[in-house]
Amino acid sequence: MATPEPAPASTPFTFPSTYNFPPFFTPQPNSNTRQAQLEKWSSLIQSWCKHHRQYKLSLVEAIDTPLFHNATLRKRLDLREARAVIDWMAKSEAEGGGGRRAEWIDAASTGNQVAWIWWRRPEEWADIVGDWVDGTGQRGAVLTVYELLEGDATVSQEFHGMDAEAMRKALNVLVKRGKAQVFGEEGQEGVKFF
Amino acid sequence: MFFKPLDLTTALRPLLLPDETLLFVQDAVGLYEGKYKIPNYQDGQAYLTSHRVCYVATEEPRKYSVGIELKEIDRAEHQAGFWKSSPKITIFPKPQKGKVDKARSETASPAASQTASLYPGKSLSPLPQATSSPSPKPVNVPWICPICSFSNPVPSNFDVAAPAASTHVPPCLACGIKPPFATVLKAAISAATSADSSFPKSSPLLAEAQAPRPHDDQPGTSTLNGSISCPRCTFVNHPSLVECEMCGGPLKVGAHFGARNRADSPAPFYEQTHIANTEISECIKLSFRDGGDKTFLERLKGALIQRKWLLLHAPPPPPPQSTTPTPNSTNEESLQPAPRATAVGIAGLEQRGLETRLNNQLVIGNAFEDLEALMASAKQIVALADTLARESGMSANDGSAETQAVLSESAAALGMVTTKDMLRSGSANLYLSELSRNLAEYLTDDRKGILHREGGIMSLIDLWAVFNRSRNGVELVSPSDFQRAAELWEKLKLPVRLRRFKSGLLVVQRYDWSDDKTVRQLLEWMEDLRQVPPEEPVPWDWMLFGRPVTAQEVAQRFQWSVGVATEELEMAEDRGALCREEGIEGQRFWRNHFLTPEDQLGETPRSYELRPPMVDSVSN
Repeated sequence: MATPEPAPASTPFTFPSTYNFPPFFTPQPNSNTRQAQLEKWSSLIQSWCKHHRQYKLSLVEAIDTPLFHNATLRKRLDLREARAVIDWMAKSEAEGGGGRRAEWIDAASTGNQVAWIWWRRPEEWADIVGDWVDGTGQRGAVLTVYELLEGDATVSQEFHGMDAEAMRKALNVLVKRGKAQVFGEEGQEGVKFF
Repeated sequence: MFFKPLDLTTALRPLLLPDETLLFVQDAVGLYEGKYKIPNYQDGQAYLTSHRVCYVATEEPRKYSVGIELKEIDRAEHQAGFWKSSPKITIFPKPQKGKVDKARSETASPAASQTASLYPGKSLSPLPQATSSPSPKPVNVPWICPICSFSNPVPSNFDVAAPAASTHVPPCLACGIKPPFATVLKAAISAATSADSSFPKSSPLLAEAQAPRPHDDQPGTSTLNGSISCPRCTFVNHPSLVECEMCGGPLKVGAHFGARNRADSPAPFYEQTHIANTEISECIKLSFRDGGDKTFLERLKGALIQRKWLLLHAPPPPPPQSTTPTPNSTNEESLQPAPRATAVGIAGLEQRGLETRLNNQLVIGNAFEDLEALMASAKQIVALADTLARESGMSANDGSAETQAVLSESAAALGMVTTKDMLRSGSANLYLSELSRNLAEYLTDDRKGILHREGGIMSLIDLWAVFNRSRNGVELVSPSDFQRAAELWEKLKLPVRLRRFKSGLLVVQRYDWSDDKTVRQLLEWMEDLRQVPPEEPVPWDWMLFGRPVTAQEVAQRFQWSVGVATEELEMAEDRGALCREEGIEGQRFWRNHFLTPEDQLGETPRSYELRPPMVDSVSN
């Protein structure tokens, strides 16, 4: 997306038409239908998070938001079902899942409550950051993570104002690719691009 | 006696006349005319009814099925099985009015006349059937053709005393040249003289030896006074010999001995495949390859004694609402509507009730006097039980009113029902296949239209209940028999089929009905619903999604039972045509919008393949 929304929450989120389809909130027993249903849920959650610039989704909090609760239909997705959707999103496509579009955060301590919603996968973020670095000729430069996220130079970029932890995951991908090096302490990290 | 063509029911059983009842069924039965097997009529089911003996072939039953009316049967005889010969029942026709010469019709085989018409050239006795003066004794003596020296039989009506010009002399059978009158005359005279001397000796054997002769096409075999000349060395043997005394060659005595090899039995005069409407002039035999002959004969004799066919033209029995056996005239009068008119109001009703009670008492009293009487008044008792049940209303709380109506009506079908005692004990397969046919008939019967009324589909358990209740508690079918019979439908190619839903529910359906049709029906209906604005405002976009249906609504719409409707909906869901919504209102089904891409959601109905038939149904 070239132009990020200036004020994310100001424009109302437009739900897809299936959101108003009552069976959307009932788990479908037919596997084909179920697959289609999960895909629709996955894309709804992703676009919802994207719209609200949300990188983590806490199910307990989200369960009462319009995302999972359709007030007009008086229908909701219960916690168990929502968890099943996230579970499905977390699986790769090879496993019959939604292509790792979600990731449980510290499943043991949070008990599958909070999840990353990767409306862009860390790899995709890494590509975007890498492209920006290339495009602005900053290869070899050293930047702090704070600069990347909040600096004036990145205002026009999609990753401006992104969750720091998510950015760290994206940078880690770049590190693995050998295109960057991260150093410094927690919260004070700097990054050098190659 | 004639072979009558049979009308078969949808289940390929003989269609019974009103008041005709089925008495016995046996499979693996073959049909003989005279002594010969009739081709294509060698493996089938024999049905004995109160009016007819019917044969229905296993293969191509619509083509090869015939019936014989009992009223044309004179008597039936049993012939025990021996070695490879199966037990048989011989049925003799009543002598026909036009033919008084019984001796003739018994000794001279009817084959002669039939052969004459079918194969004029080959006939050994080419004399016309219209005999002016039947000779007292049929003497078959040969005259030797002077042209080809073939020995031809002298026609039995050849009158020595008649003038030469008025007597018709048949041509030689071998060369077709008419013989000089003198040759035949000489032969006849010599025959007459020798017959006088030889007849007393061999007369007991004569009939036996002569009877099969007309079938005998063997040209070398000629007989003289009952003696048989050997076709090989021409030595004239005693008629009781089967082999030539001189050369040991086989003598073609007749079909008695030909019965040794069953398969080769020649059927000289029934070359045509269809025997309906052909006359039986000698006798027919039913060969029971799989047993059952004893019971068949016993019931046949019983039926011949009972003469139920006489009732066919009798006045109809009293209408069921009066449930009267009308055993005496006084009772009958009391039931006439006249007294009802005189006493009105509560008194009239009471009087009527009293009369009915008296009458019922009489019926029950008569019926239970002894078993014979019970059998005789079975129908009345059934009708009475029926009305009693209806009056008491004890069965009013289970099943719909329509099913009730079906139940009471179906008592009439009682006679059509196969019971275990109609079949030989141990022939479980036959029982099941008959039951299977029975069920198919019961289901497809248009008068009752059970399957139709249930929306073309019915659960097997419902059917079992309705069917057993229609038997009024007699000869009930066990669930396992019932299921096995239902499973036979497919095999017997009957017009209904058993279907198992995913949950294991067994239902009965028309044969040509498929899931695709059901799904299309459902979708068409939902498409119709989508066109109608909902009565109350709904939170979803009804123009887009239409409206959900519940199993109850579907059951109502298609006259299915709720169980069946649920199963059909789940089947449609399973096929991806529908999807479900579970909520506080219960389970509802929607058209499946998940599988259509988001951007096409609005247009789907327009490009929908079922659109054209739906438009048709709307315009209708």
